Amino acid sequence: MTVSVDTTVCDLCGCCVAVCPADSLTLFETELVVDDDRCTGCGRCVKVCAFGALACTTRKEADRA
Amino acid sequence: MPEPTRFDVIVVGAGPAGSLAARYAASGGASVALLERKAKVGAPVRCGEGVGLRGLSRTVTPDPRWILNTVTKVRFVSPGGTVVNLDGVGENFVVDRTIMDADLVRQASDAGARYFAGVQVLEVARLGGGVYGCRTSGPRLEGRCVILADGVESKLARSLGWSTHLRLEDINSCAFCKVRSSAIEQDVCVFHTGRSVAPGGYAWVFPRGDGSANVGLGLLGTMCGPGRARQALADFVQRQFPGSPVTDTHCGGVPVGKWLRPLVREGVMVVGDAARQVHALTGGGISYGLIAGRLAGTTAAEAGRGGVLDQRHLIRYEREWRRTFGRDQNRSFALKSVALSFTDGYLDGIARSLARARSSKLSYARVFAIAFARNPLLLVKAVRLFR
Repeated sequence: MTVSVDTTVCDLCGCCVAVCPADSLTLFETELVVDDDRCTGCGRCVKVCAFGALACTTRKEADRA
Repeated sequence: MPEPTRFDVIVVGAGPAGSLAARYAASGGASVALLERKAKVGAPVRCGEGVGLRGLSRTVTPDPRWILNTVTKVRFVSPGGTVVNLDGVGENFVVDRTIMDADLVRQASDAGARYFAGVQVLEVARLGGGVYGCRTSGPRLEGRCVILADGVESKLARSLGWSTHLRLEDINSCAFCKVRSSAIEQDVCVFHTGRSVAPGGYAWVFPRGDGSANVGLGLLGTMCGPGRARQALADFVQRQFPGSPVTDTHCGGVPVGKWLRPLVREGVMVVGDAARQVHALTGGGISYGLIAGRLAGTTAAEAGRGGVLDQRHLIRYEREWRRTFGRDQNRSFALKSVALSFTDGYLDGIARSLARARSSKLSYARVFAIAFARNPLLLVKAVRLFR
C-alpha cells in the first residue's frame, strides 16, 4: 500500500505526518515523501488532510501515475 | 569527510519553543546550535495568531512590533446563533508570527546560539559516551543534549523511543485564511461553535486591526474527511463575509491530546507542539511552548554547568513542567473531553443562560460554573477526568 500526494493541493502542513502510526511520511520544506515499505494503508492521513491532497493507492497504481 | 561540529546542546526547530530553549541554554553558558528546516522562519504562518497577554508575558516582553491588534472583548456564538459577550477577560493580542518568530530567533543568537537556517535534521542517533549525532541536510552535528522542538509532526522523537503519532481524537485539522470585510468588528475576538460550523472544534475570527481578520476553523480528527476542513472554512466565510476577498489560505494540525510522557529520555528533551504542550480546549500552543522551551533550555544549561547532561538532571524539566503548566494542560484536556460531549442543543442552552448575565461580569470561571450548574452530572464527569 501507499499514499499518493497531489502536489498542487498539498500545503506541506504536516498533519498527516502527525497521525501516521507507521512513521511512513516525511515532510521536507518543499515536498511530502511517502515510504511505501512502511505504509500500511490505514488511511488516517487521507482522512485528516484539510485540503484533501492524499489518497490511498496500491503501489502498482502509484507507479503507473 | 569534514569533522562534525560539536555543541553542548542542539535544538531542532526554531519556532517559539525551540528559540526560547536555545536562548536560555546559551545564556546559561552552553554552546548551542539552533536548527530550522525552513529558509525563513515563521512563514507561511500556520497559526491563528491569537494569544493572551497573561500567558505570553510569563516568558517574554511582548514587543509592539509583533502586535497587530489588542483586543479586550471575546464573543462566543452558539450553534443556534446565541451571542455571549465577555468583556472582562483581560488583554488578548493578535500577533504577526513571522515578525515574532524572527525576533525570537534573533534573541537566541544574541544570547550566543548558532543559528542554522534551511537545515533539516534527518536523523538523531545515540553515538555512545553521552553524545548524540545529527545527520542533517547540511553539516553533521554532534551534541551532548538534544532538544526536539520540531512541531506537530514530532517526527524525530519516534526513532529515539517515543511514540508520538496522534490518535485522530487528539488532533484538530485546521484550515484558515485572511478575510477583509467592513463587517469585521476590530475590537472583539469571536469564537463560533456548532457541528455544522466546525465539528469537534470551533471557528475563529481574530481581527488584525486593519479591516481584515484571521479567520479559521478546526475539526476534530475523528470528524474529518479529505478536504472537509477547507470546505467547512469556505462555507463559513461565505456565510459570515459573503463576497469579501480571501487570501493566504493554509492548513495545519493542532495537537489536542495530553502532553507527551515522558518529556525526557536520556539526553533528549521534547518541547512545544512536538511535546503536545497545547491547551486542548483552545488549541493555544504559543504560551506553553515558550514556557516549556525556557524550562528545557534552562535545565540543559544548569546540567551542562554541572558537567552531566543526562536523564537524572534533565528530568528536572519534566518535573517542573508537570508541577506548573502540566497540571493546567491536564485540566484543559478534561475540559475538552467534556465539551466534546455537549450537543448543539446543550451549548445553545448554556449560551442562553450566559447571555442573560452582564458581559463585564462574565469570566471564564463563571462560564464553566454556569455550564456545570445546568447539569451537575457534568461536574462528576469532569472531576473523574481530572485524575
